[in-house]
Amino acid sequence: MNAPDRYERFVVPEGTKKVSYERDTKIVNAGSFTIEREDHTIGNILRMQLHRDPNVLFAGYKLPHPLQYKILVRIHTTNQSSPSQAYNQAITDLDKELEHLKKIFEEEKSRFEVKPRDY
Amino acid sequence: MEGVSYQRLPKIMIREMKDDYLKFNLTDTDASMANALRRVMIAEVPTIAIDLVEIEVNSSVLNDEFISHRLGLIPLTSDLAMGMRFSRDCDSCDGDGQCEFCSVEFHLNVRCDSDQTLDVTSADLRSTDPNVVPVDVAARALSSDPSSFDSDQRGIIIVKLRRGQELRLRAIARKGIGKDHAKWSPAATVTFMYEPDIQIKEDLMETLTLEEKRNWVESSPTKVFDIDPITQQVMVVDSEAYTYDEEVIKKAEAMGKPGLVEIYAKEDSFIFTVESTGAIKASQLVINAIDVLRQKLDAVRMQDAEADFKEFTDHMQGGG
Ligand SMILES: [Zn+2]
Repeated sequence: MNAPDRYERFVVPEGTKKVSYERDTKIVNAGSFTIEREDHTIGNILRMQLHRDPNVLFAGYKLPHPLQYKILVRIHTTNQSSPSQAYNQAITDLDKELEHLKKIFEEEKSRFEVKPRDY
Repeated sequence: MEGVSYQRLPKIMIREMKDDYLKFNLTDTDASMANALRRVMIAEVPTIAIDLVEIEVNSSVLNDEFISHRLGLIPLTSDLAMGMRFSRDCDSCDGDGQCEFCSVEFHLNVRCDSDQTLDVTSADLRSTDPNVVPVDVAARALSSDPSSFDSDQRGIIIVKLRRGQELRLRAIARKGIGKDHAKWSPAATVTFMYEPDIQIKEDLMETLTLEEKRNWVESSPTKVFDIDPITQQVMVVDSEAYTYDEEVIKKAEAMGKPGLVEIYAKEDSFIFTVESTGAIKASQLVINAIDVLRQKLDAVRMQDAEADFKEFTDHMQGGG
């Protein structure tokens, strides 16, 4: 009777921000992003994309608890960049990669419909 | 300061494509991307499924909840799902979840009046929208050869009725995702494997007798290697049959020939298999997964001004 609604796992509650940033108090160019209602799907691709950026000294994510539907992404960069710059760049790059992926998938699909390769 | 792009340009090669099955190679990207796509296909690509049932009459042997649950699990054709509204976001029916923008109504009215047991199936469901019907009903309507679906293809059985029993109900189907309930998952199975790179050390292999070669080839639980009947050389016949069991490596060591074969998993090359429930085509499932993942990424973007401002004010407050 007191079970929480199932959609609480993926719908951001009213008055809560999807993403919030907290700067590290001791280290420059370091901080963590709290992303509400996301999990390993977003956490892991973001982390791996951040690792491709040479200005990122550290990037990691954690899902603090399976019943707390949020992830924490911690980023430390050189002074050539900043956590929010690296974070947004990673998202932009992933978005472009997926845009490319959709385009080539549709091209390959049309090509395959005409002439399947022999296997 | 303009950011430098570290974007990748992956490649795709389709190897097999049917309506409900797809096999393709994804290369020049990493496991995080492959896994994100897999996870989204299973749990976040929307479909339509029965979500609310109002039972008028049920004198069958199954209780109301049992029948409602079975109705929910029937896959419905969901090509409209991507463009539909979730009932919880629908402002046309304020939370009621029963308007044309966020739902499809079904009716079922069956009564048994003979001594023969009557099967109530997905084919008895009457949809108010011809685009949203049980997948097996849609497949039969499209099939050019209806005889291929006779005795064993009568639809998905919901319940069986004996003489005098009746089932009458109204059902509302809604858009949803597998994360909410598995009945909304469009994926039967989605898997990917690393493409193996198998290298046989030819000179070491040639120190083996034919009998030893045979024993070594047989040590693999799956048929990865074979012996050329003419040259008697060991060759790779199906590298993708390799299951990373390392049996051939252990066998080589046991034979006193370590390093006979080297097997690596190519870290940027994946072989995907996608099986759909029929709610959407397997190829459409991949396309929808890409769209959903892009929407998710867009939602987690930090509003530039906001982040920069925060960085600035924190500096002013004299942080480290
Ligand atoms: Zn509505």
